[in-house]
Amino acid sequence: MKAIIIDDERLARAELKKLLLDYPEVEVVDEAANAEEGLAKIELQQPDLIFLDIQMPGKTGFDMLAQLEKAPHVIFTTAYDEFALKAFEVNALDYLVKPIEPKRLADAVQKLNASEIRDSRPDIISTNNSLLTENDQVFVKDGERCWFVKLNEIRLFESVGNYAKVFFGANKPLILKSLNALEERLDEKTFFRANRKHIVNLRMIDKIEPYFNGGLLLELKGGEKIEVSRRQTVKFKEMMSL
Amino acid sequence: MGWGSFSLTNTFFAFSFKQLDKIFFYHLLIFLALGLMISHLMREIIIRAAILQKNLRRQSFLFVGLTLIMALLASYFKLETVEQLEILTSKDAQLLHRPDFSYWINKMVLVLSGGFSYFILFFIWNLIYFMFHYVTKSQKQQMDTLRLESLVKELELQTIKAHINPHFIFNSLNSIRALVDENPQRARRAVTELSNILRSSMHAEKAETVTLERELNIVKDYLALENMRFEDRLKVVYEIDEDTLDQPVPPMMLQTLVENAIKHGISKQIHGGIVKLISVFKDGYHELVVQNTGQLNGRVNAEGFGLSSTTNRLGLLYGSKAKFDIRQINGSLVEARVQIPVEDV
Repeated sequence: MKAIIIDDERLARAELKKLLLDYPEVEVVDEAANAEEGLAKIELQQPDLIFLDIQMPGKTGFDMLAQLEKAPHVIFTTAYDEFALKAFEVNALDYLVKPIEPKRLADAVQKLNASEIRDSRPDIISTNNSLLTENDQVFVKDGERCWFVKLNEIRLFESVGNYAKVFFGANKPLILKSLNALEERLDEKTFFRANRKHIVNLRMIDKIEPYFNGGLLLELKGGEKIEVSRRQTVKFKEMMSL
Repeated sequence: MGWGSFSLTNTFFAFSFKQLDKIFFYHLLIFLALGLMISHLMREIIIRAAILQKNLRRQSFLFVGLTLIMALLASYFKLETVEQLEILTSKDAQLLHRPDFSYWINKMVLVLSGGFSYFILFFIWNLIYFMFHYVTKSQKQQMDTLRLESLVKELELQTIKAHINPHFIFNSLNSIRALVDENPQRARRAVTELSNILRSSMHAEKAETVTLERELNIVKDYLALENMRFEDRLKVVYEIDEDTLDQPVPPMMLQTLVENAIKHGISKQIHGGIVKLISVFKDGYHELVVQNTGQLNGRVNAEGFGLSSTTNRLGLLYGSKAKFDIRQINGSLVEARVQIPVEDV
């Protein structure tokens, strides 16, 4: 497992590297001292895992993640306590408080190994193309709130000007990405462009009803009703009959 | 309100004495109009001359004098108006044209006698006015005292909590752990520095002021620890006039400013910067300056702990004599400056 450490303090990086020597499965391939450097190194190394400090000069760790197309596994390392971290409302957050307790690090690495085995199969199939697969996660930041979202948890993308609204669970934050850009990166076997404004997750469809002009009306598991344009209905039926 | 009820009672009395005629109403009207005008004029004078802010003896003296002058003024104007309109009561007309005295003496007598009733009224009016202001003022004072007390308590609490930023402690401990292998000597020194900071912050809230020398020792330890974390990203420069070392300063104030310089300045710069401490005597003030690389960006958060606590503490200790400001001094430097008046020994 390739890992990158991103932290603005050299000593903090050195200490973490030293701790990670006990885990040969985690190979630290590079390190970065700020968010910009981090983005470049992630691009270059394509790591499976990053250890990420939150408070850094320039950009915070959260801001950096929000800029990534697809978020690798992330373990936050921070001097904040658990209580202070709650303010960020990051769900499914794996974090280690500095100074890092070796036992906590062991747990985090073990958890990671388990999830790596679970996810490994679909990864192998899609490694060659740049499409995002269902098991990929994206980091979504909307103001102070942040989420790691697996693509298979997302029901719907809705175009709002230059932004896209992402529907998952009870949340619908905005991300700065156009629907067309998203469509290019999403796997069309799962994500279907229903009309000019919407991309739906085919696995999240609850009901399909006929609609005006030979179109269709899809009801999603979250209760959202999405119209499928006439042109796309033909494509939709084609896909479904396969 | 007051004048309305006065005219009502007067009408009632006049009615009971069967004197209710046109002339009486004219008189009442003029009396009222003048009363209203003069009492407003009086209020204006009281406010403009800030009589309420003067001491009690001068206040009562001015109060009586003002009432007297105003009463005579009102009475004179009334007589003049009544005379011009030719609606003098027969009694007054007789008095005015007494043959054995000159016209002006007669007039003066009339003004004086009319002034008497005005005087009584204005006296009561003023009494109520002053009383009202006294009550509200003392109430406000009470509120201010309470507010000040709660502010002091809050500050005490905040300072105790804010003296050591836990974030700083954990980051330092983390660096120390890394140094244990890399540079054991430095690690040992860091432990000493951290203990010094922890110890002094425990004692800080007990003293009102400490000498600059003591405060500076903590700051030096603190900056040494930050230097260990930031390494070459932090450069520290001291420009301390040795004579200022004995000056009393509020404990942990300089420390708070330096912490701010690190937090808002250095830690936000990718390539780091400098922190410069200056302590000099200047124009009768002991001037403490903390400069750091960074941008104010026009948004100084006056509510933030660092700035508000500094302002409040200086205010409590030195009143308005001490000054504190923070500004961008050039493209890349932010300067926080405290000026403490130098006490004559």
